[in-house]
Amino acid sequence: MKLEAHGVTVRRGVFSLAADFRTPLIEAGRAGMTVVFGPSGAGKSMLLATLAGLNRVEAGRLALGDKMLDDPAAKVRMPPHRRDIGLVFQEARLFPHLTVRGNLGYAAKRAPPDRPVINLDETARQLEISDLLDRPVRNLSGGEKSRVALARALLSSPALLLLDEPFAALDGRRRRAFLTMLAQINAARGLPMMVVTHQIEDAAELADHVLALKDGRVIACGPAVAIMRQPDFLALLDPRDLGARIDAGRVSGDVGAFGRGVWVRADAVMVAIEPPRGLSARNVWQGKVREIAHEADGSVVVWIDTKAGDVPARITLAALSELGLAVGKPAWAVVKTHAL
Amino acid sequence: MAGFDEWQILATSLTVAGRAILFGMPLAILAAWALSRPSLPGKSVLDAAVHLPLVLPPVLVGFILLVIFGRRGPIGHWLEQSFGITLAFTTNGAALATAVMSFPLMVRAIRLSFEATDARLFEAAAMLRAGPWDRFWSVALPLAGPGVLAGAVTAFAAGLGEFGAVITFASSVPGETQTLPMAIYAALQAPDGEAEAMRLAGWSFGAAVAGLGLAELLQRWSRRRLAG
Repeated sequence: MKLEAHGVTVRRGVFSLAADFRTPLIEAGRAGMTVVFGPSGAGKSMLLATLAGLNRVEAGRLALGDKMLDDPAAKVRMPPHRRDIGLVFQEARLFPHLTVRGNLGYAAKRAPPDRPVINLDETARQLEISDLLDRPVRNLSGGEKSRVALARALLSSPALLLLDEPFAALDGRRRRAFLTMLAQINAARGLPMMVVTHQIEDAAELADHVLALKDGRVIACGPAVAIMRQPDFLALLDPRDLGARIDAGRVSGDVGAFGRGVWVRADAVMVAIEPPRGLSARNVWQGKVREIAHEADGSVVVWIDTKAGDVPARITLAALSELGLAVGKPAWAVVKTHAL
Repeated sequence: MAGFDEWQILATSLTVAGRAILFGMPLAILAAWALSRPSLPGKSVLDAAVHLPLVLPPVLVGFILLVIFGRRGPIGHWLEQSFGITLAFTTNGAALATAVMSFPLMVRAIRLSFEATDARLFEAAAMLRAGPWDRFWSVALPLAGPGVLAGAVTAFAAGLGEFGAVITFASSVPGETQTLPMAIYAALQAPDGEAEAMRLAGWSFGAAVAGLGLAELLQRWSRRRLAG
């Protein structure tokens, strides 16, 4: 099953969104996780709302599998409740007149009868909200609300689940726990997801596909491995976020703690010109210098081509001349596990 | 006692106002819902029509009702021929006149609570496969519920005092259409009726204040509920 947008145009006020992409949702029986990435104001939420049918498409075609969602030229506009798409909003949007159980039941009651029944209590247990079931929603904390909203969306049994950064309000440990939960549900239930985030670590951790947005335009869409090292993708990042996505399997440490990939920031990488010894760092990748880029702030980014992939390291000009680094010379990229 | 049966007058008043709310409510909820939608075509026309009874002289409203729903009026004639229902000069007729007069009041209160409802919740419901009608019943109405009740109670309290339209359309028949204000008026016309008028006025005042108090309580409940 694929999600396809051909020349889709949406306007809201002075902002307009143009989307042309195709992303696989289920590939070889595996449910995909597409991360919608871009800076604030790029149109990420608007794209999701458009897929959900909450925005009017002015031109183009939008299709989910063999189902046409929007095709204004042919007067096709499938209403949101018939799209078989779930959406978890940034704010949880729980129904204030219902309890937690009431909110979950609202979704379960409307799930299509031909799908396998999703057990409410089991879902509540998985999302650690069992103790909240009989509480009114107004007294829940931010993290609890996000989990209830996710559980509610799951119980409506959609064919595709959109998540508009529901973890934005969470911090640190809770955020990590939520992301881990998301990845588990994606794999265990075979439910394809599209997740909005503006945090590059989230994108590296979750994505098998990336859809990058800038100024209301989809600028790249494809496998995370390929997209996340493209120059126009890296140009979206804050200079301090410059880095590379490394497959989780390549990274030493508790692999289970990482998702599909890890974002290695250039700021967290050290360069050695000989095999480092007597070092506590767990990740030492041998390679060759591929490129040396001088940054506007006077620092230097050395790209090292290793078997884990291209790894950038930000060093000072003084370090560059002291080490005598040059393109083609051998180098080792060194990263502390806890810097990841 | 100057020939007034206070219990009967009170019962008539409550019946008339009660039926008025019963008749008017479904339509008032629909009108309020329509008016609370930001993108309704012809919204200003509907808005003006809803508020018409507020600005027309009540006697004129009663007269218009008589023209339409009277025994020789187009609808009144049809109702009598088809169903044997007579409205003019009956309790139901008094209720109809009261419903028309209190309609703007009901619509206003209900519309306010529809408008205070977070529209984003309807989107959330849509994303859980609820269609428009389902969203109205399962989200909009329950959230606006206390506000709807408050509107009903306010309209009920005001309906107890409706005079001009009712007396024109339904007259003042003791036990049928003679409500509190009409009895007060009749008592004032009678010699030595002041004492009776005072007592009836007391009833009327009490009922109105009780209604207002109840409406205020419901409004508070409504605000709490909508605050989520």
